[in-house]
Amino acid sequence: MSQSLIKLTAEQVGKDLRLEWRSRDVLNSMLFFALLVVVIFSFAFSPTLEESRRMAGGLVWTAFLFSTVMALNQSWARELRNGVLDAYRVSPAPPEALFFGKCIGNYLLVLLLECLMAPLFMVFYNLTSVGPYWQLAVVFLLGTWALVVNGTFFAAMSIRTRNRELMLPLLLLPISIPAVVAMVTGTTLILTGESSPLTQIKFLGGYCVIFTTACYLLFETVLNAE
Amino acid sequence: MKSPFFYLLAIITLGLLAWGTYQALDVAPAEATMGDAQRIFYYHVPAATAASILFLANFVASIWFLWKRSPVADAIAVTGAEVGVVFFGVVLVSGPIWARYAWGTFWVWDARLTTSLILWLLYVSYLILRSSSETGSTSVLAAALAVFAAIDMPIVYMANRWFRTSHPQPMIGTDRLDPAMQKVLLWNMLAFCLFALLIAWFRFDLERTSQKINLLHIQKASKGAIAVVMPAVFLFIDPVREHMLQHRYMVFGYVAVWTIYIGYMLYLFAKLRRLHREADELEMT
Repeated sequence: MSQSLIKLTAEQVGKDLRLEWRSRDVLNSMLFFALLVVVIFSFAFSPTLEESRRMAGGLVWTAFLFSTVMALNQSWARELRNGVLDAYRVSPAPPEALFFGKCIGNYLLVLLLECLMAPLFMVFYNLTSVGPYWQLAVVFLLGTWALVVNGTFFAAMSIRTRNRELMLPLLLLPISIPAVVAMVTGTTLILTGESSPLTQIKFLGGYCVIFTTACYLLFETVLNAE
Repeated sequence: MKSPFFYLLAIITLGLLAWGTYQALDVAPAEATMGDAQRIFYYHVPAATAASILFLANFVASIWFLWKRSPVADAIAVTGAEVGVVFFGVVLVSGPIWARYAWGTFWVWDARLTTSLILWLLYVSYLILRSSSETGSTSVLAAALAVFAAIDMPIVYMANRWFRTSHPQPMIGTDRLDPAMQKVLLWNMLAFCLFALLIAWFRFDLERTSQKINLLHIQKASKGAIAVVMPAVFLFIDPVREHMLQHRYMVFGYVAVWTIYIGYMLYLFAKLRRLHREADELEMT
């Protein structure tokens, strides 16, 4: 059973990435959107080096948060065409495999976006980190998972509403506020090198575990809601 | 309303609200520095208590619904969230009015204020989901979101305690409270909790009614609504005070808060009339 879950999840991830690789519509729009946010923010604030270290945490995460919302809306919309989702619901495959497949696919996509955008942020805002870079990597890996796991869940919920694309940020943003606070303060602490971000990292880890469990337990209910 | 207890509760609530307001305005000693402006406290804190209880009811009912799929549980969940949002709206409006006088600013991104605002936002998003999801799946999706909101609350609370501690703390601490003030607060707490129960009862009945669209229920419920709106009239009587500025804050606070309560009750009335018309069209008896 658990082996088939892993196998199906892997199939799902492979399928999503292959689709994305062939069309590239989500990644392209995400990248361009994040780039626009970077440019607009720099016009709005035009910070000095010291200021940009303080601001960058909030700025980077705002850009990534909104690009993630964009990607997540697309990921389920794809399954609605030709009744793919309904076909999945009547198939004997466990719904958790579908959820984690989607989740991991989105996660890899957002991570790729972050890897591409990070150098741009460094260049445009003249950023260098005072704290160690590996801590930054940990905060980004955990923070992105926190956004994506809840985001995938609420995207599955919001495709069942009348105003699909509008609904996702309305549901996701209030739930994600504690994670966003931890990501932003963690990133700022590392960039400015003021103190250790260990509390934030632990907090993000806890947040990920709690909400991954909640999504795992409730996804079947939401998928089959009638 | 089937039960005569509803009317009994309405009368008791009306009496207690009048008594509590009299206590708050006249019996309670004026606070040393804030004077009359401090009297906002007597309906700010009770509204917060009532809202917390309602949100808890929403959580319990949502779990119950996910487990048993009972329409009663769904009605309790929507009642808890909606009436809770109204009462918490009162907290978020009356708080800043007091803060403008006491702190000199309407809003501070302090731990408790931030937590309260996020709590309110979470349940507003719950109501938005309810109003826009496809018919049939509403209850299940809403129940799932309610569970997420309830899980999120302690996390929000911790996040604010850990990461935002540099801001000033709220001044409320019951150990520093004058015993006379405490007595008045407890009276008001009782009055407003009963008031919340009354409105929630009414809203719950409305939800059940809308679940069944039963004309008989609607006719009886409309009588109960009048009993709910009545106590509001008492609270606009203007007591004479010496300190006009503080006094203005107090009156402003009362007007703002009762505008919310009465506005919500008018909304319930409108909903009731719509259901009434719908039932007429269906020729239900």
